[in-house]
Amino acid sequence: MKNHTEAFDVLAGLLGGVLGTAALAWAALRRFRFRAVTARPPLDTKAVAAEMHGDEPLAAQPANADVGSLVEGMLAQGRYALLLRRQLVSNLTPEQSQAAKEALERGMSLVPEGNVMLGTTDEDDDEANRGVVWHVGGLFLDRYLVTNRQYRQFVTGRGYEQMAIWDPQIWPAMLEFVDATGCPGPRYWRNGGYAAGEDEHPVVGLSWYEAAAYARWVGKRLPSEAEWVKAAAWPVPISDSRQSQRKFPWGDTMDRLRCNLWGSGPGRTVPVAEYSSGVSVGGAYQLIGNVWEWTTGNFGAGDCAGRDLTLPVPMKSIHGGAFDTYFEHQATCQFQSGESPLSRKHNIGFRCALGLCDIAAPRRSCRVDEQPDDEARGTPTDAASFDEGPSTMERSDEELAAVAQGDHA
Amino acid sequence: MIKEGALPLDSWRLAQYAVQSPCYICETDNIGDAELCHRCFAPMALAHQAQTQKTPPRMFATVGASGVGKTVYLGMLMDMLSRQPNHLQALARGAFSINLQQATASALARGEFPSKTPTEPDRWNWVHCQVRSAGQKTPVELIMPDMAGEALFEEVDHPHSHEVIHPLLAKCAGVMILIDTVKLQAGSLDQDYFTMKLLSYLAELSTDTKRGWLDRPIAMVLTKADECEECFVDPTGFVQSRAPGLWQQCHEQFTNVSFFAAGVAGGCAYQTRRGGRVRVPLRVEPRGIIEPFEWLLKQVKG
Repeated sequence: MKNHTEAFDVLAGLLGGVLGTAALAWAALRRFRFRAVTARPPLDTKAVAAEMHGDEPLAAQPANADVGSLVEGMLAQGRYALLLRRQLVSNLTPEQSQAAKEALERGMSLVPEGNVMLGTTDEDDDEANRGVVWHVGGLFLDRYLVTNRQYRQFVTGRGYEQMAIWDPQIWPAMLEFVDATGCPGPRYWRNGGYAAGEDEHPVVGLSWYEAAAYARWVGKRLPSEAEWVKAAAWPVPISDSRQSQRKFPWGDTMDRLRCNLWGSGPGRTVPVAEYSSGVSVGGAYQLIGNVWEWTTGNFGAGDCAGRDLTLPVPMKSIHGGAFDTYFEHQATCQFQSGESPLSRKHNIGFRCALGLCDIAAPRRSCRVDEQPDDEARGTPTDAASFDEGPSTMERSDEELAAVAQGDHA
Repeated sequence: MIKEGALPLDSWRLAQYAVQSPCYICETDNIGDAELCHRCFAPMALAHQAQTQKTPPRMFATVGASGVGKTVYLGMLMDMLSRQPNHLQALARGAFSINLQQATASALARGEFPSKTPTEPDRWNWVHCQVRSAGQKTPVELIMPDMAGEALFEEVDHPHSHEVIHPLLAKCAGVMILIDTVKLQAGSLDQDYFTMKLLSYLAELSTDTKRGWLDRPIAMVLTKADECEECFVDPTGFVQSRAPGLWQQCHEQFTNVSFFAAGVAGGCAYQTRRGGRVRVPLRVEPRGIIEPFEWLLKQVKG
């Protein structure tokens, strides 16, 4: 009971957190705008509460039940990573904590700490064109791409109106993050929903910022480029200076039956749990094919192939190839392409990551920036330092308050 | 030591030179073993292959301004049709018919666009293929040249400056007119004007309503549409709003026009090379390539 009371106190405190004036202004603008465009009926708060927390409205329940239903609601929404944060995990009941851990194990694969080479790994290439070795801390990576069904939880949970989870520089562009009918959501949705039968298809038609916001909403983040490649290529050290990396998650030879690429699939996205034969060593599905995946890396930064590219706009790195990727060599673990972070394309989706240090070792933290700088790929080996500075995944009470407050708006 | 001997007189060789073989495009007589027509520079292999067919091959033209993406489009189309075991398949007739797709696919795989097609017709790539579609018993024999945009431009402005273009377009069963979406979106009117000129040229090839171009199928293809998503949603609306002159002309002069959007590169960047700054594809993900061709085939068969 004491735990419940404390948990409620924490959450109540969070709910009372003060949002920045600008954030409120933008949120108000968004609400006004969407009402004006779509003439949406006023929000039925009871219905939202019922959707989030089950059939019983929150107001009708006692305080500890309120917390319990809130936790259950968050688990149902796939936001177990938030519950496993050290700020909250100690306030959960053992059953709740166990449920969150089980959800983590079901949803995410473990990627061990180690080195990974980015860029070309071909032995034939000269030294100048060889890739660079990066060190990656241990992490969890989503087993599956984020689906339409999961993303809808974010949309109905008013994720587009919780300004605290959006980068402030993107607020002006957020008014354009709407679906085909003008409602907030991915580009190809209509009336805030996706096409029938596509619940388990990867969500596409969203910008890098929308993907990053969703990741924050569920208590995770987008993977860095090095993390993504490490999860897919699964490098194994064979000496002090060399390591063996896979070209594809299943080995070194392309097998089109293991992935959804041009000519091997139906020519469109498929459910995220298909192509189980193409699963990575760690158990992540569809790292190759189906849809490209956003990462935090900046495309072109530290380009190892010496192509000397000039980009029309700054681009984020995408990996893995998609259902319409034509050449096999563009669907390898190493191949990177780029796309404007504002693009909302039909063949780009994402999956989320979570640093081990953010949940498993409270005293330890790792640094993975989502800001566009040269560190966004991960941490180079010669500068490896994992205990420096706070984790970017660490949230202040105010930030968590904003997220929680958004849930109750 | 010198050996004397008598060479046999191969009279059949003389006979071969005596029998003239007409070019399939311009119908000019050529000697039997000519590789290219001496007048229009079309491959004589087309004529030789056509002689073996019961029904003469049909021709589709792919035209558009210089740099619009004709080579990429046609090369990619052929490569996709030859690799995809789906409802539409293409089988190349003759090794020369594979040159275009080989050059295009190799360049794209290297992360480059293929080099510009030379203006000289003797250096153009021609494709002769057999197209099989699901549900159709008889395959269609097709000839499609990859013409240079500059040559088309000269021919349109100064008719008969290139001997091959006029007879080719006059004989074509259908045409794909390519328009650069990026330029159209940027507000450039060049694409609009050049395409209007091309349409006028086609309309004037023959005034005969049955044999002329007024009823023949014309697929207007907005290329590089990967950089403009709204094109894929509504290509007709895009042309209507961005190229009203072209839209008007299509409606008033031709009865069988359809609009499509196509893209090959998923994203592009620029690379500095010796020759200057060039556009390079970041990845290859063809979209909307087969649809215009399929539509043309249906129209021709129908």
